[in-house]
Amino acid sequence: MTAPHRWSEETLARARDLIARYPERRSALMPLLYLAMAEEGHLTEAGMETVAELLGITPAQVLSVASFYTMYKREPVGRYLISCCTSISCHLLGSDELLAAIEDEAGVPAGETDPDRLITVESVECIGACGGAPAVQVNYETVEGVDPEAGRELVRWLRKARPEVIVADELQTLFGGRTGFDWAIPDDEGAVGPYPAFGPLGTAGRES
Amino acid sequence: MNETRLVTRRMADHPADSHTIERYEATGGYSQARRSLQMGRERLVELVKESGLLGRGGAAFPAGMKWSFLAPARPAYLVVNADESEPGTYKDRQLLERDPHQLVEGIIIAAVANEVHHAFVYVRGEYARPARRLQRAVEEAYGRGYLGKDIFGSDYDLEVVVHLGAGAYICGEETALLNSLEGHRGEPRLKPPYFPAATGLYGKPTIVNNVETISNLPHILELGADGFRKLGHPEDTGTFLFSVSGHVRKPGNYELPHGITWRELIFEVAGGLREGRTLKCWIPGGASAPWFVPADHLDLEITKDATGRAGSMLGSGAVVVMDDTTCVVRAAQRIVRFFAHESCGQCTPCREGTSWLEMILGRIEEGAGREVDVDVLLDVADNISVGLAWPPRMTTICPLGPSAVSPVSSITRYFKDEIMAHIHQAGCPLR
Amino acid sequence: MSEHTVRIVVDGRELEVPKGELVIKAAQDNGTYIPRFCWHPRMKPVGMCRMCLVFIDSGRGPMLTTACTTPVADGMKVDTTDPAVKKAQEGILEFLLINHPLDCPVCDRGGECPLQDQTMAYGPGESRFVEEKRHFEKPIPISDLVMLDRERCILCARCTRFSEEVSGDPLIEFLDRGYHTEVNTFPDHPFRSYFSGNTVQICPVGALTATLYRFRARPWDLVAVESTCTHCTAGDRIVIQASQNEILRFLGVDAEATNQGWLSDKCRFGFGYINSDQRLTVPLIRDGDGFREATWGEALDLIAQRLGDVIRTSGPDAVAALGGARGTNEDAYALSKFMRTVVGSNNLDCRMDDTLDAEFLAATVDRALISDIDRAKTILVWGPDLKEEHPTLYLRVRRAAIGSVPGLVSSNSDAHLAAAAGATLVVVHPRATGLDPVADFKLTYRPGSGAELLAQLRAGEGRLAEVRAALAEGPVVALVGRTGSTEDPRLAEAVAAFVRTLPDAKILPLARRANTYGALDMGVAPTLLPGRVSISEETFTAWGDIPRKPGRDCRSILEGALAGDIQALLLVGADPVRDVPDGDLADRALDAVPFLVAVDLFLTDSAGRADVVLPADGFGEKEGTVTNLEGRVQKVNAIVPGAGQSRPDWSILDDLARRMGSSLGFGSAEAIAKEIAEVAPAYRGVTWDVLDWEARDGVVVPGGEGTQPLVYLPADTPGPIIKADLVLHSARTMYDDGVTMRHTPHLHRLAPGAALHVHPDDAARLGLGFRARVVGSSGSATLPVVTDPSLARGVVYVPFNQPGCPPLGSDPRVTVEPA
Repeated sequence: MTAPHRWSEETLARARDLIARYPERRSALMPLLYLAMAEEGHLTEAGMETVAELLGITPAQVLSVASFYTMYKREPVGRYLISCCTSISCHLLGSDELLAAIEDEAGVPAGETDPDRLITVESVECIGACGGAPAVQVNYETVEGVDPEAGRELVRWLRKARPEVIVADELQTLFGGRTGFDWAIPDDEGAVGPYPAFGPLGTAGRES
Repeated sequence: MNETRLVTRRMADHPADSHTIERYEATGGYSQARRSLQMGRERLVELVKESGLLGRGGAAFPAGMKWSFLAPARPAYLVVNADESEPGTYKDRQLLERDPHQLVEGIIIAAVANEVHHAFVYVRGEYARPARRLQRAVEEAYGRGYLGKDIFGSDYDLEVVVHLGAGAYICGEETALLNSLEGHRGEPRLKPPYFPAATGLYGKPTIVNNVETISNLPHILELGADGFRKLGHPEDTGTFLFSVSGHVRKPGNYELPHGITWRELIFEVAGGLREGRTLKCWIPGGASAPWFVPADHLDLEITKDATGRAGSMLGSGAVVVMDDTTCVVRAAQRIVRFFAHESCGQCTPCREGTSWLEMILGRIEEGAGREVDVDVLLDVADNISVGLAWPPRMTTICPLGPSAVSPVSSITRYFKDEIMAHIHQAGCPLR
Repeated sequence: MSEHTVRIVVDGRELEVPKGELVIKAAQDNGTYIPRFCWHPRMKPVGMCRMCLVFIDSGRGPMLTTACTTPVADGMKVDTTDPAVKKAQEGILEFLLINHPLDCPVCDRGGECPLQDQTMAYGPGESRFVEEKRHFEKPIPISDLVMLDRERCILCARCTRFSEEVSGDPLIEFLDRGYHTEVNTFPDHPFRSYFSGNTVQICPVGALTATLYRFRARPWDLVAVESTCTHCTAGDRIVIQASQNEILRFLGVDAEATNQGWLSDKCRFGFGYINSDQRLTVPLIRDGDGFREATWGEALDLIAQRLGDVIRTSGPDAVAALGGARGTNEDAYALSKFMRTVVGSNNLDCRMDDTLDAEFLAATVDRALISDIDRAKTILVWGPDLKEEHPTLYLRVRRAAIGSVPGLVSSNSDAHLAAAAGATLVVVHPRATGLDPVADFKLTYRPGSGAELLAQLRAGEGRLAEVRAALAEGPVVALVGRTGSTEDPRLAEAVAAFVRTLPDAKILPLARRANTYGALDMGVAPTLLPGRVSISEETFTAWGDIPRKPGRDCRSILEGALAGDIQALLLVGADPVRDVPDGDLADRALDAVPFLVAVDLFLTDSAGRADVVLPADGFGEKEGTVTNLEGRVQKVNAIVPGAGQSRPDWSILDDLARRMGSSLGFGSAEAIAKEIAEVAPAYRGVTWDVLDWEARDGVVVPGGEGTQPLVYLPADTPGPIIKADLVLHSARTMYDDGVTMRHTPHLHRLAPGAALHVHPDDAARLGLGFRARVVGSSGSATLPVVTDPSLARGVVYVPFNQPGCPPLGSDPRVTVEPA
């Protein structure tokens, strides 16, 4: 049952720090799953076994939780994960056409990854950008008011520029339209992989 | 019509730096948190009760009363529900991104009022930037001694952890959220008990409040109960953040008092419909809510009670407006699909029923509907939410299943002809 | 109405029901069955399937509510027949069936399927679901013993709850969510649980099936009989099912006193040996290096003649018998009476030198019942790893340690479970045990140093102060036994003596082998007579003039054989070569004894050396009684005939007695039971009639008319402290190379295998590679090395009786060298 630690000392230290934040060990499961994704690009069986060992639960318990949530990707995804919202508000303002354009430009249907392992396209439920519909996220950084042509340009740009860090403000300037509220605050932090960029998980991008 | 700014005041006045602790303190921030430490628990709970503040997460339960249910055992926990995922809703995202210290200060006040020393903010996974802004604010507050050991030089300790979700709407249901926070599947717990007040996180007494609810607390302390009450409607005090989206000219989050009409909200505040379009229907309170139509509801007052009496709810304040170009079968299918996708799968009616509804609507929309499908649709819906009543009489553990019934009951009630047209024309008549 | 009850109305009938009871249970106990799939009376309610929706009116009008999650309240009105209730239940069934494959004709569950039954009773006539059904690969093996068909699964969480809540090995879980939810394991981590078969039994559909039973029978072809499992000494109640004279399935019976419905997989699936084609079917007589088949008459006459010769030339004390713990009380009584009245010897022992003092096991004061575990404030387990050796006791203790969660809030939090805990659990053992994860205190010690630890615990100083304080909270229940074969048997008794100084303390002395307690109670021990009577007790006159000097115990018998004092040895279901910890002693003793008789099911390592081998009836082939570790007497029943010419032990001994010119005076097993009920003081009045018709949970002896002449006070003499650089711990595992497992291939291959477990530091220090040679006091072996950081340094562990490893001896001192 015991899986050898495959994580770097630094990641293990972060894991221990995360566990210490909670009154009960198992509460650190969700953040540790993100750590596991950041460590290997997606959530591997080995990653889940390591998480299980760190928390003193079985791998089956870890998988049960991991598979409940949509953001833990248990199959390899591209460097850029384009999540197209197709819920009601985005739907009313043309998200289906936007998704079709992005699928077409990326050359893969939603749910799949292009052969270069660069771009994964997915159709997702509401991402909380309804006032700026239709909206998409790239590596969970939001861009709002995207028309189909801008969606195509976004794909082309990702392929060409291959940005190290996905910054929402940059995407919004290049490909966005109307936002649901005034973003106002200039921001250059962003995501370095297909998982949410959130400091305590060890996955934050550029520091401001 | 002008907004009544309370929780959005600072961001409107100081758009570029409303999120910083410097700006926050320069505009009076954290003075109420300091005061709360002097006030003591009883006065704080009483003040919030008197203010009439209703929960802003969707259920609109009186916040002060919820606090007063908290069992005496300690430790107790405060959990802030920032898992905003109801389609149409994006107000908490704005509060998190633009004024995170307001939330932190609210957390301190709520913690002191409930003798809590460990608070968690559960932010939905897709809100990476809002979570980062909040985390920064939390760290700044720690840095100045407003969080951690002996906050504000008192002998009160308070730890705050920002916890990121991972893509599950159901975690907005407070008991599912607690399970998720404990490292389990986000499956709602059985009711009763209806509140986690005695047995919540880790089986301990727990308060769960929404971001907007907590963000109001510093203002209630500043204005006093009366001042806060005066801002709003006698029944629904204070302000309310409406997230307007869909076919309006000016979608956005609008902070308004209760008591205006839907006509005012849609046609004045949100700028009305686009050129040449007419209003077909709207969802008054998030995807879970039964729909409203112009003929019956346009001049209704927007209050909790008036909306409830008309058979729907204000919910999380998400108003989704649909104009005459909308295929209601498709719109309904899209909403039902959402709930089917987000069903946790624990209980039979929701797990099987929501997907079945989605399949039937999908078939009708694609032109493969049969006349009998309307009856099946209604009866399957009835087996999830008996009598399609409002508020729902559920056969399920939590309200998610019945939420999927709302669009079905709405379109069969108001747009039966359009459904039949789909069936008879073997496809969408609007295409 | 008492303070413990409330009044409710169910379908117009006013009922008085226990406070706090769930509506579904209260209704059922009063004759109203509310349909359900997910609810199970031995697990927390989850309210998931929603099949038990009924109208419940708690004063605010009738509301559709799940009966399985609602506790009764005074004045509550329940309506299970309203058309709206019927509609809701029909709706739920329709939902459950839309994705169900309806493959009943090829499903093992067909004919005994709750989903099928309830669809007939409560379901709609037809489905309106015209969409494509959900598909999964089917069926998939999730362990060596269990197959999973996810298409049939209705996601009731019985199996997942069982594995997490009851057995504590959560290896099957819900995966994915919503419409795509499935039950499954982690890839390549099979559902390897000692209790996996319970999930098959409680699955309300055919989603989980037992590999062994698949397609073997239809329920309506099965004949069934209730019985008592004899794989361990808990006395678990079972139903044996057979078809065409072949045993096909064991099911657990929910007996409150013992197993509460659960079984270990060893008990549930461990019957393969009964059907084995290796069974002895005719008497065998030694013929050179081999055997020749013989008639019963020839074989018994030979034995009668040889035993007669020995008695005549060397006296009755030159005859001895080992065994009797694998059969019934009636068999044991016959052996006891045969040795005392026909042979005239007290040299008999049902123990294999691997357990505790006979009088302590049979007649200790302050003996606990299993159910006392539920009420204990503190539980001390200083004995074998219950999960390995007493599996259903493990479940019981685990449940008591976790406690029941009051109310219905399904918080899964460990702290919540702990907070709601009933008992404080203290586990003392030389290595990790199955109960450790739920123990409040775990004390680990080196074999040989138990007496030292006991003294420290008694003093309660330093690190043991907290444990000592916990033990001061009564009621205390202590399960004491020998932790392994290198432990001095007197230690457990000394622990019991210490426990008796604790408040409101009771003791369960643990022995594992099948009917050890019954055999002791029948006097199959050198110092005991039937009914918990000391051999020196002159008031026992039923057998006339019998020897009153205590005889030899197992070890002494074997030593006697080696010394030439024992001239004839009778093995009755005993395999000392595999079972006696000093294997070398047993080995040489059997070689040395001039005349050896074995009554057995198989030609075991011991029986293979016999002069005459007699085929015996096995479990399920004979009727009788057995006695469990509490002293609870229960019936075992026959459902299939024996193998070939096999006979029950009592009948063989009765026949032999007659050929020796004497008689035991038995006509049938039931007649023996009647004699026991008259002769044995503790068993007075316990006839088959009483057990079959009056006492469904058996009779704890002495009960009713019974008395217990011998009352034993545990001796506080823990034995010497033995220290050495390396000490050996050797303990039994659930699956091993014992005779029943060896002939039950699907379980035998699950045995962990012979290995030397050693702390990594010791492995390094001793320079061990992949294999090492271990030399014990009475045997040696070259074994694969397994490093185990959970072991204490200086302790090596070798699982007892594994294929290819002889017993290594009862002395903890060992040497280990690289091989």
